[in-house]
Amino acid sequence: MKYIDYVQLNPFQKFGYNFKQFFVKLPGNLKKFFCLIGRFFKRIGMGIGKGVANYFTRFVKGDWATKLSYLIMGFGNAAKGQVIKGLLFLLTEVAYIAYIVLFGWKYLSKFNTLGTVESGFGVNPETGRPMTINGDNSMLILLYGILTIVITVIFFVIYIASTKSAYKAQQTVAAGKKPEKFSSELKNLLDNRFHVTLLAFPTLTISVFTILPMIFMILIAFTNYNYQHMAPGKLFTWVGFGTFSEIFKVTGGAASKSATFIELTKWTIIWAIFATVLNYIFGMIIALMINKKGIKLKSLWRTLFVVTIAVPQFVSLLLMNQMLQSYGAINVLLKELGIIQNPILFLNSTPLVARLTVIIINCWVGIPYTILITSGILMNIPADLYESATIDGAGPVKSFFKITLPYMLFVTTPYLITSFIGNINNFNVIYLLTDGAPYSENFYQAGYTDLLVTWLFKLTMTTQDYNLAAAVGILVFIVCATLSLITFNLTKSAKNEEEFS
Amino acid sequence: MKRILALIVAVLMLATVFVGCGNGGNKETASSSADNDPFHGEDNITLKVWAPNEAVETFQAQCEDFIALYPDKKISIEVVAQGEADAATNLLNDPDAAADVFGFACNNLNKLYNAGVITPVYDEFKDDVTKRNSEESINAATLDNTLLAYPETGDNGYYLVYDKSVVSDEDAKTLEGILAACRKAGKKFVMDAGNGFYSCMFTFTGGMELAGLNEEGTQQFNDYNEDEVVASMQAFSKLFHEYKDIFESADVSKVSSGMAEDPRTVAAGIDGSWNAKVVSEVLGDDYGAAKLPTINIGGKDTQIISMHGYKLIGVNYKTKYPETSQLLANYLSDEKCQLERAEERSWGPSNLAAVESDVVKNNIATSAILEQAKHSVAQVGIADTFWDPMKTLGNKVYKPEESSETAALKELLAKTVANIKDE
Repeated sequence: MKYIDYVQLNPFQKFGYNFKQFFVKLPGNLKKFFCLIGRFFKRIGMGIGKGVANYFTRFVKGDWATKLSYLIMGFGNAAKGQVIKGLLFLLTEVAYIAYIVLFGWKYLSKFNTLGTVESGFGVNPETGRPMTINGDNSMLILLYGILTIVITVIFFVIYIASTKSAYKAQQTVAAGKKPEKFSSELKNLLDNRFHVTLLAFPTLTISVFTILPMIFMILIAFTNYNYQHMAPGKLFTWVGFGTFSEIFKVTGGAASKSATFIELTKWTIIWAIFATVLNYIFGMIIALMINKKGIKLKSLWRTLFVVTIAVPQFVSLLLMNQMLQSYGAINVLLKELGIIQNPILFLNSTPLVARLTVIIINCWVGIPYTILITSGILMNIPADLYESATIDGAGPVKSFFKITLPYMLFVTTPYLITSFIGNINNFNVIYLLTDGAPYSENFYQAGYTDLLVTWLFKLTMTTQDYNLAAAVGILVFIVCATLSLITFNLTKSAKNEEEFS
Repeated sequence: MKRILALIVAVLMLATVFVGCGNGGNKETASSSADNDPFHGEDNITLKVWAPNEAVETFQAQCEDFIALYPDKKISIEVVAQGEADAATNLLNDPDAAADVFGFACNNLNKLYNAGVITPVYDEFKDDVTKRNSEESINAATLDNTLLAYPETGDNGYYLVYDKSVVSDEDAKTLEGILAACRKAGKKFVMDAGNGFYSCMFTFTGGMELAGLNEEGTQQFNDYNEDEVVASMQAFSKLFHEYKDIFESADVSKVSSGMAEDPRTVAAGIDGSWNAKVVSEVLGDDYGAAKLPTINIGGKDTQIISMHGYKLIGVNYKTKYPETSQLLANYLSDEKCQLERAEERSWGPSNLAAVESDVVKNNIATSAILEQAKHSVAQVGIADTFWDPMKTLGNKVYKPEESSETAALKELLAKTVANIKDE
């Protein structure tokens, strides 16, 4: 299709065209993607190879001090007069060796088995009293093993830097110049290397508080850490992809994890679509109504709707939960009005009723946010667009679809995507409203309204299937990442083609 | 000059690397002390005790009494609020920061035992503890023939509570009678059928029992007769369907809150022992309490079998003062302390002598619960996977829209058992 044809399409046709094009281009894009990954790894490999080559070249070309600093970090620097820098390098080496000898090695050495000695009851040799004989603690071995590996990697980077620094100092001296003073290097950190100073702290905290736990959690998915292998009493060990195959294994008899996973994934996606789209549409409609010309007391209406945000979400959800009980306010009201005879179990009868209920309740907590976001944007749409549309004979519906909706979509697509992903992981609504009910004997530790994330919570908190939960977490991440990549891609193409001004 | 200095520093650095770390301090083991000392040489003792929030004062007072028994020792004990249900989980999370002596619900015993975080009862207390407590409570504290904890209470269960102005004592003997009386008065009967702790009665009444965990931690059951269990489930299901306007499944707190309304909307219910004080105050003279009623299964009145738990006192394996902790746990679980708690907190004792006391006998709720304990399955050796499938079973049995056909219930039972065993 040529550009001129494309421009003449209406928004829906454009969307359809883009949608089709996405799948047509998918094989090519996938190929590109894998090529990119391949190239990335090739580049890394080349980089490492070059680094190693440089490492040896520096050794060969270095004088005796530089050569010695391959063993004793900072020796070369110190010999060339950079005493403080050399001392710092040495301090790092000593600290690292002390860490490994005193602490790290006893965990790292057991990292491949995660421990072999099981704890048990025995007799205290000193007092003859029964006591617990402490065996290996697989969890601590895993945790500190990862910590040691991370520290080793960081140390290795510093080590390479030290050899580089020694060689550089040697070259500077050979060129007849004075090696850089420590104070001037410190000054540099505030000047042309300021980015290093600024980023050091965030990088450190992110690695300690985010990356390290994440590696830990990811690795748990590859162990058999569950209620049958609870540390500190029992050991757990590596099982490779065993947990993942358990999720996808079809078993007879009991509720299989695969059936549960597939059913919950389906429901999670349905939920995310409905929760996002309904909140968006209704929020926008309400915002439009409030913004309409001739509506009086606009700010009052806006405030009224936004007041629901002022009540904490969990409070409204717990209240709703109480109101929807079999003898809660809503059932009593309906009964008093003579509409029903027996109470309706909104949250705990058939799957369909419960699912509809949670989707509708979610509108209550979600719509105010959409109103807030959209009413600002709606006020920004140039009024002359509507005026000229009216002059050309467009009714309110037509101008909504031709002007308002495209404009809104253009501006709020990133918001839509984030709220979609947010809804996939919308823990509060489900956990506080239904806790997964209605329950089913066909599911493993889950009910019909459980999302993957609430299932994950139950797996960790009630049955302590930590490995299963970690594996489910990884799968949820894959689902979220794929969906957001696809949607972001779609919007990008839309943005390139169509510019709204 | 500077060059020389630099070289000296460099050589010094070289030296530091090759100087080995000195040998660590030598450890002197504590010499064994006098054998007659119950503390075995421990002194300057600080202990932490976990007790439920409402009982902290009672426990603190009892701990003061304990300290007063040994004036020549320096002991300080701090009682910290910690619910019994979560005690085991919190202990497992961080045994170092947890209490030395802690109260917990007996269904967590296998978790603590498997993780090896509980110290068994010392030999010198074993015989005494076994003798003075009820056999069931000792069984609840024993795993693999090892007595692991001291029984604290014998009443962690539920019983029938009824409004005497609506349900007569005679009615209260059968579930059918209670429901009929409730219908006559247009009031509710409340129990929490959507909770495994209560809904297990649907299967237990048919002869199912728990038989601990096997080595892999999988739940085992006795050799029950499937048809009988299904017949029991069916009897409950049909009865609840017939009385669907009367029967309400709700949290146990609904029993007391429904009875507190004016006029009372709830006439009878199955309530937990921990609520007894509240209900008796709400009902006043109309307060009726009894063991669970019978239910008609295939023309025969059968006693409803409940799940019955015990609260235990355990000793953390990480405690710095194991001897004192054992001594304290023993003290806190003896007759005197159990009686005090029965008086102050209405906790039903496990101690045989305390059970016979007037304090307990005059408390109709406690007597009812202890009576029901004779028709119960002890809450020991339960896998974590037990509760969720049992909850599902309970929901399916009582809900009016679910089938009470034999075939459907049979399938439900089979799936529930398979889910619990995670096969």
